Amino acid sequence: MKSLQAALTILFPIAIVLLIGAAALLAAGHDPVAVYADLMTEAFGGTRRIAASLSAATPLIFTGLAAAVAFRVGVFTVGAEGSLYVGALMAAWLGFTLTGLNGWLLAPLCLLAGTVAGTLWMLPPGLMKARLGIDEIVTTLMLNFIAIGLTTWLVNGPLLAPGAANSSTPQVVETARLTRLMPPSTLTTGFLIALALLFAYAFWQRRRVGGYETLIGGLAPRFAGASGIDMPGLMLRMLLLSGAIAGLGGALQVLGPIGRFVAGFSTGYGFTGIAVAILARGNPFGILIGAVLFGGLSTAGATIQLFSDVPIEIVNILQGLIMIFAVADFGLRGWFARRAGRQAANGGATP
Amino acid sequence: MSEMKQADAARGPRLGGQGLSKSFGPLMANDRIDFVARRGTIHAIVGGNGAGKSTLMNILQGLLTPDAGTVLVNGAPVAFRSPNDAIRAGIGMVHQEFTLIPGLTLLENLILGAEPRRGLGAIDRQAAEARAAALAELAGVRIDWSLTEEDAPVHMRQAVEILRLIYRGADVLILDEPTAVLAPPQIRELLALMRNLREKGNTILFISHKLDEVLAVADEVTVLRSGRVVVSRPAEGLDKAELARLMTGEPVEAPTAKPALPGAAVLELDRIGAGGEGAVAFQDFSLTLRAGEIVGIAGVAGNGQDEIVGLVSGMMPAARGAIRLAGQDITRHSTRERRALGLAYLSPDRKKEGLCLDASIADNLIASHQHKPRFAAQGFLKPRAIADFAAERVAAFEIKCASPRQPVRALSGGNQQKVAMARELYDNPRVLLACQPTRGVDIRGIAAIHEEILGFRDSGGAVLLISEELEELVQLSDRIVTIYSGRITGEFPRGGAGMERIGRTMLGEVAA
Repeated sequence: MKSLQAALTILFPIAIVLLIGAAALLAAGHDPVAVYADLMTEAFGGTRRIAASLSAATPLIFTGLAAAVAFRVGVFTVGAEGSLYVGALMAAWLGFTLTGLNGWLLAPLCLLAGTVAGTLWMLPPGLMKARLGIDEIVTTLMLNFIAIGLTTWLVNGPLLAPGAANSSTPQVVETARLTRLMPPSTLTTGFLIALALLFAYAFWQRRRVGGYETLIGGLAPRFAGASGIDMPGLMLRMLLLSGAIAGLGGALQVLGPIGRFVAGFSTGYGFTGIAVAILARGNPFGILIGAVLFGGLSTAGATIQLFSDVPIEIVNILQGLIMIFAVADFGLRGWFARRAGRQAANGGATP
Repeated sequence: MSEMKQADAARGPRLGGQGLSKSFGPLMANDRIDFVARRGTIHAIVGGNGAGKSTLMNILQGLLTPDAGTVLVNGAPVAFRSPNDAIRAGIGMVHQEFTLIPGLTLLENLILGAEPRRGLGAIDRQAAEARAAALAELAGVRIDWSLTEEDAPVHMRQAVEILRLIYRGADVLILDEPTAVLAPPQIRELLALMRNLREKGNTILFISHKLDEVLAVADEVTVLRSGRVVVSRPAEGLDKAELARLMTGEPVEAPTAKPALPGAAVLELDRIGAGGEGAVAFQDFSLTLRAGEIVGIAGVAGNGQDEIVGLVSGMMPAARGAIRLAGQDITRHSTRERRALGLAYLSPDRKKEGLCLDASIADNLIASHQHKPRFAAQGFLKPRAIADFAAERVAAFEIKCASPRQPVRALSGGNQQKVAMARELYDNPRVLLACQPTRGVDIRGIAAIHEEILGFRDSGGAVLLISEELEELVQLSDRIVTIYSGRITGEFPRGGAGMERIGRTMLGEVAA
């Protein structure tokens, strides 16, 4: 019953979304079954398409995990997007500047720099939250705009590639680029790093004192405080960790599929990551499923209009709907409770 | 459906149940419950934790549908589909947690949602005031209706909670442990209020586990145990011992305290003060607690208890003065550092601060100990050691559960508190700061918890006991200190004063 409930918690919103989407498609004069079949084929039909979907899922695993580690302790950051950008830019800058370095040295250095940049980007909101109790949703959201604006300005000015038309840095040196797992797909070793990180997170959750303290702190902050857990400090640390993961994710995009920093390269990875984390309820396997789902949707969305007259907007609508229903979990819990109540009532003598 | 008894109209059946049953999984929370509360009477429902009182109340309020049986209103079967149906039938309930809204005056709280109107929808304040005054007179209480919720004393807020139900047309009042938050003189006032409302024809369902109060005010008593009605009879002729035996099924003996052998001072509050946002000016408070003694703090809620708890536990910074634990100045120490020096803290708010309800029993048992070598090495938890520890504690404290991996939420109040107790008393703390240790715990659970506290004292532990249960304080404390408005108003050695005298100093009268 419990595992069924857990599975339904993830599948239920998706099912509802498909129904609503079907209604929209019908209204627009499309055959929903055919469109969904097309979407499915475009996302997961064949090795190349699967590789493309996993490649698209990779940054979402990072941003999903970044959101999940902070949510776990009750910090509702929306700042993964910002950390992703500064992490990516930092990695790109080292990647095209330190051309003399050996690739085996340069790649880790770029990743480290991206991680550190992403971490530091979360330091101001973290300190404001921990010391002054300032709401992290507002501060991290605003920092996203600053990160996007700042990086865009840098790559249009000081860091603009010579001879490039606009908005991107020079290419990272080839030796620092990540290995492609299934050329020509853009799936790189970054995906393996994402998987490794998910495993590490799963272990940390259950077996580390920090995993225990964040569990307690997220579920019952006052209890945690009374037990001697330094809640402000813990919130700060988890927000920094969130920034680190997102920064690493950004750096891996640069060393992986993109090869340089391009202004506005993220298609809202940070925000989709929030939906992934909520949909997964912090479960590492759920994060993987959610990221692959959204990754698949976006690859399918990119190609589906080539084969049908379905507008790409339908994919965006589906994504938006999934996000909305991902948050609406209490509705489902209430439904379970009522159903249990009705069953109990029907079992009795009175109607 | 049996024949309805034809009683006279004045004392005819007002609210009752016939064969009410409700189960949750394998647990029969209510098992064929029959009772009748007559019009114009006070009907007490007593029973320990898990006896089925809450389930029955939820059924009577329309929050739960019974699996079998029926609710009787005026002797006729009804099926409540929602709380609104119960309200329409004239049934209202005052919960332990009040529902008045801060920022509004008592008058505004009274009329909220059913305001008397003049033309154009404006609130008719004069009419509201007149109605409020009439209600207070009916109940025989004095209420300053212009006070805001946060400024009104607790017994006044409670009276408003009750009168609000009458204002909305209820004449059956379900009061859930209404005396838990009151000092003895206020309890007497509340009981008088209940009698007054009864004289005016209201019916009161009085849920309580305080047997003295039940016997003082109830006309009839229904005793529940394990979801069943043990007896439903007139209160006349019942005595306390008999009632306790009916509730628990066996005679319950309160643990008796051996004389204390106080040792060296372990906790010293030296003229501490807290910068107060609260209503109480908390300054220059001094108190010494020695090893092997229990010091009870008696006072009406909001007279400095929160400050004492906050300052001792380290969750509230001290503005002035010093706190010493085992000779060390801990005034600036964090909660964690204080715990490392041997402070244990049993929170009054079990649900939010004393436990993590959604975490497992085992996870709750290791909280505040999670860094200790028994449970973790280099930051890696030792699941085996934690499971062993949990099983050991569950057995030692007789915590009734299916498995230590169950969430604490699944346990009854008494067993939840035992989990908190088992955690706090682990690893030989020096000082136990125990606040409302038996709040919402049944008689047998209370006895078990009291025994633990006394055992801790006998083994040389020091206990600072803060409780709203005067009886508990008198039973356990080697010294009772009364506080009022942030000051100490009296100090009584064990057996040094009757409850009535202690009660008066709790309300500000300084003991000679």
